[in-house]
Amino acid sequence: MCFALVIFFFAATLIVAVHMRSANRRAFYTLRTYTVEQRRLQQELWRKQLQVEVLTNPASVSQRLGE
Amino acid sequence: MQTKTADSPGPTTVEGSEARRERTAITAFGALVVLAFLCLGWRCYRLQYASADHYWQLSLRQQCAYLPLEPQRGAILDSRGRVLAASNRIRTLFADPRIVEDPKDLANALSPIVDLPAHEICKTILDRAGSRYAPIATGIDAGQAEAVRSIYGVGVEYGWQRHYPMGRLASHVVGYTSTDNRGLGGIEHEFDRELSGEGARHVFFVDVQRRPLSFAVGQRSGDNGMPTNGDSVILTIDATIQQFAREELLKQHRAFEAEAAMAVVADPRSGAILAMVSLPDFDPENIRRTDPNHLRNRALTDQYEPGSIIKPFAAAIALDTGVVNTHETIFCEHGNYRGRGFGRIGEYRQGFGDLTLREILQHSSNIGMAKLGQRMGPERLYEGLTLFGFGKRIGIDLPGEAEGRLRPPSAWTGYSITRIPFGQEISVTAIQLVRALCMLANGGRLVRPHMIRAIAKPDGSVVDVRPPALRLGYVIKPEVARWVVQDAMTAVINDGTGRRAQLDRWQVFGKTGTAQLARSDGRGYEERAYVASFMGGAPAEDPRIVVLISYRRPNYALRKGYTGGTIAAPVAGAIIERTLTYLEGPQRPPATEAIARSGRP
Repeated sequence: MCFALVIFFFAATLIVAVHMRSANRRAFYTLRTYTVEQRRLQQELWRKQLQVEVLTNPASVSQRLGE
Repeated sequence: MQTKTADSPGPTTVEGSEARRERTAITAFGALVVLAFLCLGWRCYRLQYASADHYWQLSLRQQCAYLPLEPQRGAILDSRGRVLAASNRIRTLFADPRIVEDPKDLANALSPIVDLPAHEICKTILDRAGSRYAPIATGIDAGQAEAVRSIYGVGVEYGWQRHYPMGRLASHVVGYTSTDNRGLGGIEHEFDRELSGEGARHVFFVDVQRRPLSFAVGQRSGDNGMPTNGDSVILTIDATIQQFAREELLKQHRAFEAEAAMAVVADPRSGAILAMVSLPDFDPENIRRTDPNHLRNRALTDQYEPGSIIKPFAAAIALDTGVVNTHETIFCEHGNYRGRGFGRIGEYRQGFGDLTLREILQHSSNIGMAKLGQRMGPERLYEGLTLFGFGKRIGIDLPGEAEGRLRPPSAWTGYSITRIPFGQEISVTAIQLVRALCMLANGGRLVRPHMIRAIAKPDGSVVDVRPPALRLGYVIKPEVARWVVQDAMTAVINDGTGRRAQLDRWQVFGKTGTAQLARSDGRGYEERAYVASFMGGAPAEDPRIVVLISYRRPNYALRKGYTGGTIAAPVAGAIIERTLTYLEGPQRPPATEAIARSGRP
């Protein structure tokens, strides 16, 4: 009986360890995905800001006024 | 029955020899086993110690993936925070020609996604048949990147692209970068280290499909950290003033078909450069198709004989050294001054009799200036011009600055002392003239023209404030500088050669100059090849800005004119007017008027 319990807890510990390990990796992968997405959005925002700069800089405003 | 004889080997002898053989075999086997273990031990030692690094690297290569993180190059901003240059992340779609089996099929599949003709894509792939990289489209969006993911033989690469939102506006100041984002000209080159930042690398353990599982231990410093983006450089240039200067300069540049032109606008109190234009200019985003000759910032690199615009400085030196006073008259020989050792000097249009110093500048008399030079002597004139900064680099924050040419008095001939005061036998750069004019306009105080207002970290914190500390010291007496600016140089505008720079709202001061271009062989001057210049500023009573305009080789054959007063003065007037109006800001009614209109006390 005692031997069966030992085997049971040993097996349970191994299963939990494996589960935690894969959970850790899933969380890491998700974190990386969001980090990359966050950077992409930041860059997208910066790109939009540059587009605004292209439209509102004195040279292009002057050119449009001339036209 | 077998009988034993005395000399036949008995059973004991046979057993003994077998036993020996067995022992030998066992010993040999044992030795082999020991040798095998020694070999194993040696191999273990090799694996664990001697070649450990090599195998560790091999193992890491299989288990790990490396993600290089390139830093974002810092931005270049104008004095009001507008973006002159900045980097943005872009996606580039590329094909691997070596693994593409049918370029036509691939091109047909990609064509609707990237909106490019299939034959162009096919040609790009076939042109690079031997390589592993054929860029197909740059700057694709996230949707396009996702759509090409399932197509075999193509990939999406991420990189930084440099953008110049204002295009040609400040191209010579801002500069340009190479395809690998290294600064090659202007501020991009001069501040490349600050702008570049520092890269990093992420190291992951990956699964069989190369998906990251966790960070692996970094193998070098900077691994698994974040890249340090480049610092931003904030300039003293104001894009609006730059636009005024470029627009006005370009109009006349086209009208007179000049070979080149330059304009510099500066704040005489601090030496801050507010605008710097050099024509012809270039598009910094399209540098490959640019004529290399257009990449030169002529305000710094071109040295030329300044002609009459140097006269106010020579006059100021003469006044400061006391060889002349403001009431004294100088006989100007009615336009024909000859003498032993200095040849003949004439005037530009008509001859003059007695002129005061003010009138010499107003009418731009060469003979008057030559006589002032003779009165000063080589040493005093040389020292004065050196104090104004001629003949040496000023050390502005841009590459390629020339130092001009002002020979020491020991190398002067009889001609030098009479020619240098009206701008011959001396060569200067535009930025040297601007510096000298700043000193004249601010009451004779030393300044150093500069372009960098500050350097800021990516988080916005300022790490380096660049304006140089104001240097104490005067190159000439303040009252002399005031007289030259407020009396003599305003007379040039009101009644002299610079009339076309007059403004209604502000009293402009200035001086025109029309210099002949020296021959490349050093023998005399070219026919009908001129540099038409104007330098000045406003308001004369307390100058806020100074401007230098120069046109090189205006087309004489057009018969529209070629002098500084005709070409450069109106441009300077327009730039001064627009700039001062802009710097004043929107006009507000006086406070009393505003209160009266609101109906409240």
